[in-house]
Amino acid sequence: MAPSAQFELAQPPNDAISAIVFAPESSSRLLVSSWDKNVYLYDTQTTGQDENQQGSLIRTIEHRAPVLDVCFGANDDEAFSAGIDWQVLKIDLASGEQTVLSKHAAPVRRVIYSREHSLVVSASWDSTLHVHNPTDTTQAPLEIPLPGKPHAMAASPSKLIVAMTSRLVHIYDLSALASGLASQTVPSPWQQRESSLKFLTRAVAAMPSDAGYATSSIEGRVAVEFFDASAESQARKYAFKCHRQNQPSPDGAPTDVVYPVNALAFHPAYGTFASGGGDATVALWDADAKRRMKVYQKFPDSVAALAFSADGRYLAVAVCPGFETGMEDYSGEGRTKILLRVLGENEALPKGKAK
Amino acid sequence: MGGKKRKHPDVEELLNRPWCYYCERDFEDLKLLISHQKAKHFKCDRCGRRLNTAGGLSVHMNQVHKESLSSVENALPNRQGLDVEIFGMEGIPEDIVQQHNQRIIQNFYQAQAERYAATGNPPPGQSDKRPAKKIKAETPDEIKKRLAEHRARLAGQKNAGGGNATHTPPQGLPDGHSPGQSASPGAFNSPFHPPGAQYSGYPNQPQYPHAYPPSNLPSRPGSNVPVASGLPPRPGQPGWAANASTAEELGPGAAPQQGDDIDQLIRMAEAGIRPPKKSEAHTATEEASPEKKSKKEKDKNVQMIYEDELSPEERMAMMPRYAFAPEAAAA
Repeated sequence: MAPSAQFELAQPPNDAISAIVFAPESSSRLLVSSWDKNVYLYDTQTTGQDENQQGSLIRTIEHRAPVLDVCFGANDDEAFSAGIDWQVLKIDLASGEQTVLSKHAAPVRRVIYSREHSLVVSASWDSTLHVHNPTDTTQAPLEIPLPGKPHAMAASPSKLIVAMTSRLVHIYDLSALASGLASQTVPSPWQQRESSLKFLTRAVAAMPSDAGYATSSIEGRVAVEFFDASAESQARKYAFKCHRQNQPSPDGAPTDVVYPVNALAFHPAYGTFASGGGDATVALWDADAKRRMKVYQKFPDSVAALAFSADGRYLAVAVCPGFETGMEDYSGEGRTKILLRVLGENEALPKGKAK
Repeated sequence: MGGKKRKHPDVEELLNRPWCYYCERDFEDLKLLISHQKAKHFKCDRCGRRLNTAGGLSVHMNQVHKESLSSVENALPNRQGLDVEIFGMEGIPEDIVQQHNQRIIQNFYQAQAERYAATGNPPPGQSDKRPAKKIKAETPDEIKKRLAEHRARLAGQKNAGGGNATHTPPQGLPDGHSPGQSASPGAFNSPFHPPGAQYSGYPNQPQYPHAYPPSNLPSRPGSNVPVASGLPPRPGQPGWAANASTAEELGPGAAPQQGDDIDQLIRMAEAGIRPPKKSEAHTATEEASPEKKSKKEKDKNVQMIYEDELSPEERMAMMPRYAFAPEAAAA
């Protein structure tokens, strides 16, 4: 049977998903970190027994506490994870061997690998960044104090964007981080900005073209900004509302239900990006034309994480119940799914550039 | 399109517009509707081919891409099915047509009512039924007298306790407030519109082109304005408790509304958008516009699914289920 445009991954995690990422080389390897204390490595291409499910679980790597982020390293067999147990781990996916890279003083929210600079950067709620050399695990990491708790982080080829509480955004130059690590001196941020969004930043994604980045907030908005500090480049930045639903309330007044935008992911080549929200939808946007290209049919639950494969042919969508204000008890058990969308040839291509 | 260019089409015109079963959008003519359906609902997301019907797309997906189509794209949640064959206006189930017409009619009358409310024009044919607003003319002397009274009261208030009189809209006192003087930042908690921008629609005031002369005003109950709803009470202010009792006397229905009027007056005064004198004229016509205003407020109803200073992950990390004790792990 030919693959349908979208399929569900077999053996999903048992609890909410915190991050999802494709391997840098093969687009059939997928890493998922979950609140059930595991990191999962999948092969998305093997056909499953079930008609609606595909892919198989290659390996699970158990952690001591829920895992908040995961990323691939230099190759498809190297990965880094960050978790509530305050640690940043290096994982050999072939053997399952774990090495502790560094210890923070609070849960570690994000971890990122910069291919261009061979650096691993972790961001923790102890309001620090740790910069590591992944090839020499004995070398002490460089600790950079931050003015606020980091919530989201992304790396473009030359820059690192860290979004914190109080709408703070710091942009670091990755080469400065690399030299700072070598000399053990703390570099100052390349740029300090205030988020264009008025609410807590939820996600950041960097443009692969190195031109800028997109941020999203808990209040149904996405902003696109550019690194270049010149006035005309800054004039190009914009923000828009999304992931909202107009619901008629019982007294007849329409209520705008605003969902958090949990995930952002740029397409590796086309300059388009996807956003996933608490309203269980994923939308594709054209960052240059400022147009929405597509909204996918509703997913079964809130979208927690998104990832494009390295070749841009797949979009992985992690679905689990969303955490809402005032929720006393939460569990993603049984409702956590990973859906893979096979993108059509022109699906993520900006309009007018279609082949 | 030439022809008659009326601003607001009548019901029949609206009902005659072709509309799309899948998304309820309506169009100028059938051609546009069909091209809309082809582009939005019957377009193959694999190759971009535009088919004529959902059935056609289904067959195309099957034969060309070996995939099955499960639902129509960009359709309303309950209209995604492939079971109905739609082409333009053909094939729409009768009950859906009825529903649609109902909606159009309802919207039309609602819009009409709002227009009347906004313009202050009586609906055609009804102008006689409503007594024209007979304005009891105040002579300049009377106005002066009121002004003097007002000033005396104001002075009295100041003497009484140096209370913050900023909330009192400058009635007939053009020099009372400098524009842009913002008194109570907490009162306007819309994060997006600074108070100045909130009523930016007011400067030209198309709704009230013929400003009623200030003398139209049925003399207001002085300036001891009830505490506006939404404004924090100002306990320091003498007479605020008394005001509250006034509001109560006005009855549950009247009080908040009046509060809203004043609210708005204050906002406008603060924004410096209109000279304070004009704001009186506004109050005079206010009785025609509360409907419109409340509508405006309703449009601002926003419910956030997640609203917190802490991120959801931090909240989750605090739950016993996900908790991690570093001591235990270190041991």
